[in-house]
Amino acid sequence: MTLTTHLAWRKALCAAVLCACSAAATAQETIKVGFLMTYSGPSGLSGQMADQAVKAFQKRYGTSAGGKTIELIRRDGTGPNPDIARRLAQEMIVREKVQLMIGPDFTPNVLAVAPLVTEAKVPTVIAGASTHGIIGEKSPYYVRTFFSLPQVVKPMAQWAYRNGVRKPFVIVADYGPGHDALNAYTAAWTEAGGKLAGSLRVPLRNTEFTSYMQRIKDAGPDAVFVFLPFGELGIQFMRAYADSGLKSAGVRLLTTSDVTDESQLDAAGDASLGVVSSGVYASSHQSPLNRQFVADFAQAGKAPRPGVGTVAVWDALRLIYDGVAAQQGRAFDPDAFMAFARGRRYDSPRGALSINAATGDINQSVYIRRVERRDGVLQNIEIEELRDASAK
Amino acid sequence: MAVIATMLFNGLAYGVLLFSMAVGLALTMGMMRFVNLAQVSLAMTGGYLVVVAMPHFGLPYLATLPLCFVLVALLTMLLERWVFRHFYGADDLTQVLLTIGLLFMSVAGAAYLFGPSFRPMQVPDWLSGQVPLLGLMLDRSRLFLVGAGATLALALFLGLERTRFGAMVRACVDNPRAAGACGLNTSMVFALTFAVGGGLAGLGGGLAVTQLVIDPNFPLRYLVYVLIVVSLGGTGTVIGTLLASVLIGIVDVAGKYYMPQAGSSLLYLITVVIMLWRPNGLLQRKGMP
Repeated sequence: MTLTTHLAWRKALCAAVLCACSAAATAQETIKVGFLMTYSGPSGLSGQMADQAVKAFQKRYGTSAGGKTIELIRRDGTGPNPDIARRLAQEMIVREKVQLMIGPDFTPNVLAVAPLVTEAKVPTVIAGASTHGIIGEKSPYYVRTFFSLPQVVKPMAQWAYRNGVRKPFVIVADYGPGHDALNAYTAAWTEAGGKLAGSLRVPLRNTEFTSYMQRIKDAGPDAVFVFLPFGELGIQFMRAYADSGLKSAGVRLLTTSDVTDESQLDAAGDASLGVVSSGVYASSHQSPLNRQFVADFAQAGKAPRPGVGTVAVWDALRLIYDGVAAQQGRAFDPDAFMAFARGRRYDSPRGALSINAATGDINQSVYIRRVERRDGVLQNIEIEELRDASAK
Repeated sequence: MAVIATMLFNGLAYGVLLFSMAVGLALTMGMMRFVNLAQVSLAMTGGYLVVVAMPHFGLPYLATLPLCFVLVALLTMLLERWVFRHFYGADDLTQVLLTIGLLFMSVAGAAYLFGPSFRPMQVPDWLSGQVPLLGLMLDRSRLFLVGAGATLALALFLGLERTRFGAMVRACVDNPRAAGACGLNTSMVFALTFAVGGGLAGLGGGLAVTQLVIDPNFPLRYLVYVLIVVSLGGTGTVIGTLLASVLIGIVDVAGKYYMPQAGSSLLYLITVVIMLWRPNGLLQRKGMP
């Protein structure tokens, strides 16, 4: 071989080695985050609003943190289907090699995916399931930015008692979280020293509420506490309540943010006026961070207002961006991320929140809100705040 | 006593609502043996027409109802000419798969066109609130529903029994081959009946907006109830469908009041019992398979 050819070969070899190095380096520059939400079926709205939140977040804060690009891998869980959620999580972990995950939503999915993320060491932020006892109890890599049901039901019961309610009627949907809500309310009520006027369970598929309204009237309560999942049940209940004459008779309607979520208030219309609910986020919350969030959100897509699921996704991204940035360009370390996340306190558009160091569950302010019309739009207006409520 | 009477009335109103959505399906199933599960999609179309046309074009509620009937009837006629006609002779499974596919397409289409959220509905003032009648406080919207449904049922019944076209329809229902042999244009009768059935579903959807919530998943939620009504009432009969839907409505409402722990199971139990007693429905017309 002549000298020139030999040099040419060496140059080519160096170039190849450099390329390989930079390729390896670039591979380390992208953090893949799995995004397992519901985009189709009856709960498809939540996935679409989550996407809108991601778009708004990345528009303001960019697509990189700590010098690394954050790449979201989206998958459609299609609803509370644990088999599908498990399969998709497995695919994302094994094939796409995600290092972090946001989701899944719905408790059965969260339970199904827990063993996978524990084995693969993938820190996961739950932004859409509200059963208590499914976070740190199921995986050391779980963290929640949503809320837990007892966290919002207890303050509602306590507020009711403080405000003179003595004979509440409790009506819940007939499924797991509904029973949890009934138990949480009853426990808090008994602790305050009161007794229920009665309780009822409503099937998840229900179109006619007049019989239940009549039952409520028969019991003669001074307030009604209702828990129903997101969806048409809450809207129909509020309408039926207004039509039944209970509202005009002064029997107060108390509920949680699942019924008065911003995405449902308009459909319920004037029937929702005056309904008192407990929740962790209202799009009307007066803080500079929230005003900016609401404005960013409205510009990023079709849904006009964010709800609690949306702010949970936003806060999940905030946590992930901050956690990745804290690792300062080193290779991603899941355990270091978990140590960062658990115990973390930060400001959210909803107010201050913190992740419990022991369980990974969320501590946050719970607000008592009343639905009022402001500037022609139905809003949840905060009337009281309980700071730093624990998830239990 | 007042409680029971009010409950019966509310059950009646709910039944009438189901009747208006289901009667078209009963007629087409009886006449053409065509299982059109997309009937509930047509009802959703009528519902969307009302909630979109009212704010958009500023039309009063009553004006949107005939519009629902006409526009959805036209849509059904198009569907019949382009799609359904080719499957009249096909077996039941093929028809079910075809129309379920159409139903899913309508769900996705509605989500694309109108967004996935629930539609707000401004109930007009003359339909809000209650009015004292016969010593009971009855909802205005339910009174309107019962009135509209009764008129509809009467019009259909008289139309079928007293008009020439009705006679042609009945002939085609009883024996399409013989009717064709007698010189009836069965293909035109089929098309028109399909259109009327679809228009009725659209009207039912328009009537339903005061009671139910319109969103893209509307067809999936109410398909089961509509099928139960048609199975219980017997295909091809207006009175049968009315009886079945009123029965369902009353059983559902009364059952949930007297036995709330049973939830929806009372409804399904009654369905099973009646199906065992009368497998072809309560008022199966003679000569039906």
